[in-house]
Parts: sequence; C-alpha cells; structure tokens
Amino acid sequence: MAQVIAAKTRPTSAPWKRRNSRNILLVTLASVLPAAVAAAVTVLLGLDGAIGLLVLFVPLQLIASVGIGGYLFKKRGRQDAALIVFTVFFTVLVAVLLSSVLVAVFEAGLRMMRWSFISQNATYISPTTSLDYGGLGHAVLGSILVVGFTTLVTVPLGIGVAIYLTESRASGRNFIRSLIQSMSGLPSVVSGLFIYSAMIVTHWSGQSGITGSLALMPLMLPTVARVCEEALRLVPTDLRSAALGLGAPNYRMFLQVVLPAAKSGIVTAVLLGVARIIGETAPLLLTVNPSAGTNLNIFAGQIETLPTYLFGNLSLSTDYSVQRAWGAALIVLFLVLIIFTLTRAIGGNKQLKTPKKRK
Amino acid sequence: MTQLITPQAHLRSEDINVWFGERHVLSDVNLTFPENQVTALIGPSGCGKSTFIRTLNRMHELIPGAGLSGAVLLDGQDIYGDGVNPVDVRIKIGMVFQKPNPFPTMSIKENILSGLKLSGRKVTNADELVETSLRRASIWNEVKDRLNEPAISLSGGQQQRLCIARSLAMEPQVLLMDEPCSALDPGSTRRIEETIEEISESMTIVIVTHNMQQAQRVSQQTAFFLAEDGNPGTVVEFGATEDVFNRPIDPRTNDYVNGHFG
Amino acid sequence: MPVETKPAPQRRRLTVKPTLLGDRIFFGITTGTAYFSIVLVVLVLIFLMIRAWPAFQHEGIGFITGSKWDDSVQPMIMQIFPMLYGSILLAILGVILAVPMAIALAYLIEFLAPKPIARVVTLLVDLLAALPSVVIGLWGLFVFSPVAEGWAKLLNHYLGWLPLFANTSGNFSRSPFIAGWIVAVMIVPIITSVTREIFSQMDRDLINAAKALGGSMASTFTKVILPTASGGIVGGTLLGLGRALGETVAIFFVLNLSFDINWADLTEARGGSIASMILGKLGNASDYERSGLMAAGVVLFITTLLINFLAGYIVNRAQPWRK
Repeated sequence: MAQVIAAKTRPTSAPWKRRNSRNILLVTLASVLPAAVAAAVTVLLGLDGAIGLLVLFVPLQLIASVGIGGYLFKKRGRQDAALIVFTVFFTVLVAVLLSSVLVAVFEAGLRMMRWSFISQNATYISPTTSLDYGGLGHAVLGSILVVGFTTLVTVPLGIGVAIYLTESRASGRNFIRSLIQSMSGLPSVVSGLFIYSAMIVTHWSGQSGITGSLALMPLMLPTVARVCEEALRLVPTDLRSAALGLGAPNYRMFLQVVLPAAKSGIVTAVLLGVARIIGETAPLLLTVNPSAGTNLNIFAGQIETLPTYLFGNLSLSTDYSVQRAWGAALIVLFLVLIIFTLTRAIGGNKQLKTPKKRK
Repeated sequence: MTQLITPQAHLRSEDINVWFGERHVLSDVNLTFPENQVTALIGPSGCGKSTFIRTLNRMHELIPGAGLSGAVLLDGQDIYGDGVNPVDVRIKIGMVFQKPNPFPTMSIKENILSGLKLSGRKVTNADELVETSLRRASIWNEVKDRLNEPAISLSGGQQQRLCIARSLAMEPQVLLMDEPCSALDPGSTRRIEETIEEISESMTIVIVTHNMQQAQRVSQQTAFFLAEDGNPGTVVEFGATEDVFNRPIDPRTNDYVNGHFG
Repeated sequence: MPVETKPAPQRRRLTVKPTLLGDRIFFGITTGTAYFSIVLVVLVLIFLMIRAWPAFQHEGIGFITGSKWDDSVQPMIMQIFPMLYGSILLAILGVILAVPMAIALAYLIEFLAPKPIARVVTLLVDLLAALPSVVIGLWGLFVFSPVAEGWAKLLNHYLGWLPLFANTSGNFSRSPFIAGWIVAVMIVPIITSVTREIFSQMDRDLINAAKALGGSMASTFTKVILPTASGGIVGGTLLGLGRALGETVAIFFVLNLSFDINWADLTEARGGSIASMILGKLGNASDYERSGLMAAGVVLFITTLLINFLAGYIVNRAQPWRK
C-alpha cells in the first residue's frame, strides 16, 4: 500500500539510479562545451575577451547546465544548476580579481627587488635616478617604528576593552560593543584629520612619527578589541566558575585561567591589528612628513613609512618612480602575507588546544 | 514535613528564597547540614536544587539578575552578612561542578595548586599537598608519574576526581557537588562515590544528584525538592536518607522515589 | 520545630560589584579603557567640529547642498554636494557589484563546496580583506583601469541608449564605473564575512527540514536560507556601505574628481568622493579651505558612524546568540 502511494507521488525513479555513463558524459559535456565554444568563437571572430566571457560563455554555460540539469532532474535540476552556475561564476570572478592583484604586484615588484632597494634609503635619489641606487630601507624602519608605537599604545587599550566586554557585568557593555563596531568603520582619512586638527594645527607637535602613530590608533583599536573579545569569549564559562568556586578574585581568575587559555587568540588579535594598519596610507599622508633619509626618532622630524613611500613615488609618476612604487607594494604585500600566515598557524594550534565545542 | 535537628549543625540555610529577575524559583528552603555527613539533594529537573546549592557558597550571585532572601549560616555565621567577602566564603565552601573542568593550560600538579595560587595564598610544601590531595581523591596511583602532563590528557572520570582533589587542596570545611557524576560512565561514578565516602569522614558534603541509587548509596540524609505547576521550587521532604526512600511521609516523595514521575 | 514563614521575604542585597581591592583596580582599569573609546570618538568629533566651524558658519546648509568650490573669490566658496553625492553613488555602485559576489562566496563556503575547497575560498576572501587600500589603488590604476575602461566602452557601445552608460565626452578613464569596481573589491570581504557568519549560525535542522520536505538546493536557498539570513545580509551590506564611503586612497588613483556634478553617467570621467577630495586638497590648502575640508570630514564621519551604528544594530539583532 505504502509503496503504491510512493510510486504515485514520485513517478520518476530516484536520481541516484540515473548515474550511468550516458549521464556522466552529458554532465561533462555541459561543463566543458560552453567554455570551448565560447573560447573558439571569441578567438575566431577576434572578439574582446570581456564579450567572450560575459556575452558568450556565461549564458552558454547557464543554458547548458540548466538544460542538462533539467533533462536529468526536471525542474529541480534546472534551478539547482542555475544556482551553482551563478555561485561559481561570482566566486571565480573574485578569485580572478584577487589573483590579478597578487600577480601584478609580484610581477612588477619582483623586477624591483635587489639588495640596494631594501637596504638603502632615498637620499640623493631623484625620480630619474637608476633603479640600482636608492631604496626603501628608511621606509621599512619608519613603518616598523610607527606601527610598533601604535601597537604599544593600542594593544593594552584593546585588551582592556575586550576584558570590559567579556568579564565585567557593567550595563554599558552593549553600547561599548556597538561603538567599537562602528569605530571599525571609521574612515581612515577622518582619523588622519583628527590628529591633524588636534595636534598639528594646534602646534602641539609637528608632523612626526608619533602623530602618524596616533592617527593609526583609532583604526587599530576596534580590530584588536573585537578579536580579543572573541578570543576571551571562547574560554568556557566552566573554567571561570571553577576558578571563582575555588575562591579566586576576578583579576586572578582572569590572569591565571582566562588569559592563558586565550593566549593564542590574543596574539592573533595583535597580528590582525598590525595587518589592519601596516598599509594604511591616508592618515599617514596627513600626519607624517616623508623624508628621503633615515630617521629613527619618531618623536620629531620627517620620517618615511612604506605606504607614504609608495604613494609618493606613485605620485611622481615617472617610469622609475612607478617601478619603485611597485617594489614598495610588494614589500607591503609580503609583510601582510607573513602576518596572514602567522595568524593561520596560530589559529590552527588554537583549535587543537581548546576543549571540544560547547553543545 | 520532617525536620532533622542536630546539635552540631555545620551549615544551615534559613528561609532561602531565590529569584531570577522577577521569577521566583525557590521558596523558603530550610535545611541543616550536620558536620561530616553527606546530604543528597534530589528532585526532578528544574526544581531548583542546583540553584540552591549555588546559594550555599555564593556562586548564585554571579548570575545576572539573581536575587535572594534568607540566610546561610556556616558555624552560626551568615555567609551573606555585611562585610563577608564572597571569596572567603568560597574558600571555606568548595564546589565541584557537573562537567569536569580542570584548567586546560595547567598541568595536573598546577591544577591541584591552582586554588591556592588563585586565592593568593603562599604554597608551602607543594609536593606534599599535591600528594595528599590526590590521595584523598583516590587518583594518586593513576597520575603520580605524570604530574607535569596537561590535565586535559586525563579521562573524564579522572578529570572529575582531579577537580575534587583540586577542591580538597583548599581544605574546605564543606564541599558542594553539583551532579558530579552526570557526565561520567558507571565505573568512574563508582570511584567517585567511594571518594565521597572517604572524604566525608572529615568534611560536610552536599551533593545534588539525579540518580536515586546514588543518593541512597552515599548520603546520610536527603532533601527532596519539587516545583509544582509554575510555583517556585521548595523542599517537600527532608530527613534521614533511609526514611525518605523507604518510609516517605509525603505521597509526592513516594511517587518520585518509586519512579512514578520525574 | 515549626517552620517559620515570613509573610513577604525581604530580598537581600547581593554583591554585584567587586569588593576586593585587586578586583576594583582590575575592573577600574578595564572600564577606563572602555570609556576611553567613547572619549576618543567624542574627541574626534570635537576637534573636527572646532576646526570645521568657520566653514559651517559661513556656508550654512549650502555647504552640503551646493555644488561650487571656488578659491578665486574672497572668502572662497566651499560646497561639497557633488563629492557627497559622488561618495554615495560609488558606495551604492560598489554594493550592487559586491553583494552578489559576497552572497555567492558565503553560500559556496557554507553550503555548497566540499571542506577543502571551502577552506581555500575562505583563505582567498581573508587575503582580499588584508590587502591594503594603497596596493589595490596601484593595481587599479595600472592593471584594472585599462581593462575596465574596455568594459565601459563596450557597455556604452551596446547599451549607450541607457542614460546610465551614455558618454558624451568620449573619455572613459577615471570614471565612477571603474571606481565602483574598486570599491566593490574593497568591500566584498566584509559583506562576505558577515553573511557567512549568519549562514553558519543558521539552524542546520531548518535546512535539513526543508530538504527532507523535498526542497531542491535552489528552493532551499531562496525560500529558507535567504529569508532567514536577510537581516544579517542587510546589516553586512550596510557595513560595506560604510566602508565604501570612507574608502580613500584607492579611489584617489582611479577617479577624476569634479565639482561639475555627475548624476548617473557612470562611464564619464567625472565623479566625487569626499574622502579622496580631503586627501587631495589638504596638502596645499589655506587655513580657511582647511576648515572646509574638516567640515567635509565631519560630514563623512557622522554619515559613516550612523550607517555603522545602524548596521551593527541590524547585525546584532540577526544574531540572537550575541545577547
């Protein structure tokens, strides 16, 4: 009886029965043919690549997939095929854009890589000086100092905010959380304007490394605070109860139990904070006065940083200076990639260490 | 309702009422816990027994919105009294939780000493303390060769006994246990029951349990909690364990201990 | 002994605030840092306002509604409407381009792709998020612009009858169309990560229930996943919008700023962006012009702050577990 009903409501047999060689061939054709046809037509007619891709390939692929999907699985197959084609199309689009950036930076940047470029500064270097002379060593040092100082100031603040958000029972937590969230959208140029109007126009300080550092601070703070908060929140409540149940005051509970458990998360927070500001340009353009020479004093005088070096050379727009800009972009990208890899490595450890997920 | 009155009442709750926000969850709990005896708190889920046990060492107030009336007396002194520091209360009245919760970043040895360090006390003769505590929790033989290994390398039952040992290292006068075996297998449960029996010679124990055989095995007196139809939970029956299980006065107790509901 | 019952039990005061000195110091410091973040935001506003005041006072509401920036007269005229409008146009353009990409990526990662592929795509999105604006700008200027200019010409060639793609000047470079793509690249990661978060928190039973009822992937996506996640997606989009408005350096390289307002001719080489304008003009501005740029900063700051606050509110509401 039950079988009769099932047969009536589902006249077609189950999909897995249809996985025979003919269908596999069809699916393969549907996934290969459109690309092949589109490519052939584009090349033969000498069409623009964009047309070939958007006007030929995507519709063809859509038709082919939807057709085969519909033939195999009726309506449900058509819809699913369309969904997959769109999803894959947009994913590939993003992948192409990203790899285009990476390839361009590596290709142009690597041509610039030589020891002198990394080790020398830009004193006596004009926009037309041979690329074998002068470099961004001073900018690397400047960036390390400026970003380092920002980190020094911001990390304790960010951790403090994160502790306030996770450990205290204050009623203002939701407001602070929203505020931090909104701060993460603070336009970087506004942050630069702030320090410019608060310190430079008022003559508290000339443009120096320190003004640049402070301009980066509001940009780094939300990242550090947010990631730290997540890290602290991952520490199970059980552990906090255990510590309090043993008669620990809150601060010892935090320092001896929560902090060690969240250590890797906090390191990640710091790294992500650094990654957030290492290439930040607009605030530095407003608050730092670039120099061609090396300056290790962030409290006074002109100082060069990587982003301002990149921007400056790009603005000169001679062939050579643009080359230098690409070189600087590669160094920045390289630093970002290092930080990125580090956070991945730490994140991987964290998963091993933390006890199994809550229910 | 039977009342058990002993002259050496060690820990006593007087008219404990508990609220979460405006919700009244426990009403007028009066219990007496005599020295060096085990008291079992039984009752169906949601009857407030876990909430009650948390009021006994001021863990209750850590929950946002928690409210309380009445008093808890330890040796005649109100632990909620003016100027009493909750931290001091928790040192004297230790607690073992439902799920084993050793500190994952510390070794077995460090876990044992963690209570002292966390409450800011000096650790003298650490090794001796570690050994006695682990011995009293009857886990010494299993871990004595791996004291410096991380605590989470232990099995669930061992972790729970480690947590008991961690509490014992603080030398509390009372030990509260909130369903300590609910996450463990029968074998580990049995070992923990043995441990309870052993340590009850020198300390007052209050244990919340869902397992009625366990209550009968380990406790000398039992309190039956019940929350009926949206009313706040309250103690329906309290007396010697044998009486509560074999000769209950209240018909509801009879129904519960004989498995008719809950 | 009879049980004493009091008619109305008096609640006792429980210790909510830390009593120990160590705890007081601990919470005092952390509360201090939290309040500092409020102070910081207020300080930003105050300092910008003080500097911006002369411009606001002189221009009045015309500062926002007018379309003229002229330093040949005394005192100079400063009105930012084309920049404000341009910023919003770019942001909307960016969002329109980025949202489908973000939803596709999030869906692929959370529901469609097998684990290893999902992991690679996640890596890709995170990496994109980590790329500094100035690097994107450099790439945009030399690599992407020429390509996108080609796209713009094609659009104009085939769809030029649409006002959106009309182009009378014949100059296709540094247009809102190109800048909009750059903005999209910059905001795809943030929208993706918010959408992913919402997707991953979705009740798997709900999705399985839809599948068990015979729903296809597509109908599950349109009828269950999208409606349930819509709050989060809107919030994420708003966050993206906020980021887009503040985008500075990348746009600076790929957009030709013009006070001759460009309503919707996307492929024309005229556009606006408050942030880029500030960057471009501050270097050699007079004292009074600087005040106008600060005022533009105030407008930008308040706009993004409001959008972000709204976005945060929506995202938090879409994630009940946060509470």
